[in-house]
Amino acid sequence: MRVDQQLRLDEQLLLFMDQLEALEEKRHKLNSLIEEGWFSIAKARYSMGNKQVSALQYASEMEPLVYVETSVLEGGTAEFKCERKENKTEELKNNTIEDIGAKETGLRRRINTTQKGVKEEEQETDGQVKTKAEPSTPEHRDPLKWFGILVPQNLKQAQSAFKEVITLSAEIASLQSAILATRKEMQAQMEKQEKTEKTQPEIKKE
Amino acid sequence: MPFSELYFNVDNGYLEGLVRGFKAGILSQADYLNLVQCETLEDLKLHLQSTDYGSFLANEASPLTVSVIDDKLKEKMVVEFRHMRNQSYEPLASFMDFITSCNLQKYYEETLLSSFPSYCFFRYSYMIDNVILLITGTLHQRAISELVPKCHPLGSFEQMEAVNIAQTPAELYNAILVDTPLAAFFQDCISEQDLDEMNIEIIRNTLYKAYLEAFYKFCTSLGGTTADTMCPILEFEADRRAFIITINSFGTELSKEDRAKLFPHCGKLYPEGLAQLARADDYEQVKAVAEYYPEYKLLFEGAGSNPGDKTLEDRFFEHEVKLNKLAFLNQFHFSVFYAYVKLKEQECRNIVWIAECIAQRHRAKIDNYIPIF
Repeated sequence: MRVDQQLRLDEQLLLFMDQLEALEEKRHKLNSLIEEGWFSIAKARYSMGNKQVSALQYASEMEPLVYVETSVLEGGTAEFKCERKENKTEELKNNTIEDIGAKETGLRRRINTTQKGVKEEEQETDGQVKTKAEPSTPEHRDPLKWFGILVPQNLKQAQSAFKEVITLSAEIASLQSAILATRKEMQAQMEKQEKTEKTQPEIKKE
Repeated sequence: MPFSELYFNVDNGYLEGLVRGFKAGILSQADYLNLVQCETLEDLKLHLQSTDYGSFLANEASPLTVSVIDDKLKEKMVVEFRHMRNQSYEPLASFMDFITSCNLQKYYEETLLSSFPSYCFFRYSYMIDNVILLITGTLHQRAISELVPKCHPLGSFEQMEAVNIAQTPAELYNAILVDTPLAAFFQDCISEQDLDEMNIEIIRNTLYKAYLEAFYKFCTSLGGTTADTMCPILEFEADRRAFIITINSFGTELSKEDRAKLFPHCGKLYPEGLAQLARADDYEQVKAVAEYYPEYKLLFEGAGSNPGDKTLEDRFFEHEVKLNKLAFLNQFHFSVFYAYVKLKEQECRNIVWIAECIAQRHRAKIDNYIPIF
């Protein structure tokens, strides 16, 4: 019994150490990526001009492109996963077909006639639904485009560094939560072991 | 006219003397060596006090930021330039307008805005930058009151604050720019399409191309030493823009035909080099085009993307500094004014680079500035 407990404790300790090491590595990588990103931005400012890469180029309100999904696992640990929003035009097309009801048909027909001509009306109703869906999906613009189309390599490098930082931070958060759980388990295990030592000292002596 | 050197000093002697005096104040290698040893931005400020800049940062609130340093450096250059422009006669006055703008005061000083004719023929690189900054800012819902102070003071014009109401390039032209000096350059940009990032980029580059070609024509018409010294500088500027536009357009949505329309035609690459660049698909092909031109071949050879190599843009900046320094070797011409502005800009870039390296505590590349004198 006791041997089992001790083995378990050893395993947990090793796991704890491994997790700590992984955390150190990830934190180190996060720091260097952030530094690299900011430095690439400084280099981009050098060639483009300070005012071309500044807060003036983006809106004060923006839609996020990356979402963090949180979930709680069995051990009570929290897990964080980053999900990048892709241009989901396919999905949204199907949704809008259901949403657009009879109310819209009148409008659609009118737009149809001004743009395409009366004869194509009936054929176009189905096609029109699909084509109407496209402009209504919000296009997820690449933030790199805020600074222009012809941006230097440095800015692209900065963007990829920061993208990696986002996924890394989610991983670090999950890892930290796992480490806390491991530590709690280890402490519980150690207390248990102390209790068994106290109740069974005679057996050991024999 | 023959013996133009004899008559130059009548109108322009004082200003040439002045600009050479300012040029002597440009930071030297020794100054840069002092600056790179600074540990904090406060140290940098202290070291700059012993140069021609003096206590230009004295009234700034601490903590000092890199963007404040950049603004104040520019302000100092603007004051010097403004003084020279105010004292100048034609054709030096038009030449200097070509470098910057017809209104050298800040946008809100309306008295001086009205004293310069806004139907000036000439187009200005800083004005173009300001228009683009305002359009982009408005596209991203920034208030006009936030944007106008960030505009380059050398590029301000009366109608600047109205730029934000335009939705399409056609509106921008008809409502606003038609009365400004930028009007003639806008001919190629007018369209009914909405102002989105691609169109803004195209407008920016088309305006600049038109400006550069007009400036080149103006310098050739001035003739003499001015033409001899300015034309190589402007040719290099045109070619450099062609290279940079090509390289930056790889992997973007800019089509090859659109790209070709943005190349200025007043450089050495016109017409064959530009045609080849328009067809290029990757960096190696661009380098192959440069092989046909000895100076550009050298620049491409020295550049690379390995750590420790200079980037191509650095090599271009270096070459620009070299050409601008040559302008000071001749006397009795206007290129010294252009060269002075460009060298001061490079100095500003150098100081801001050093300041960024200090502020970010990333001293590995702090020596990447380009020493001037």
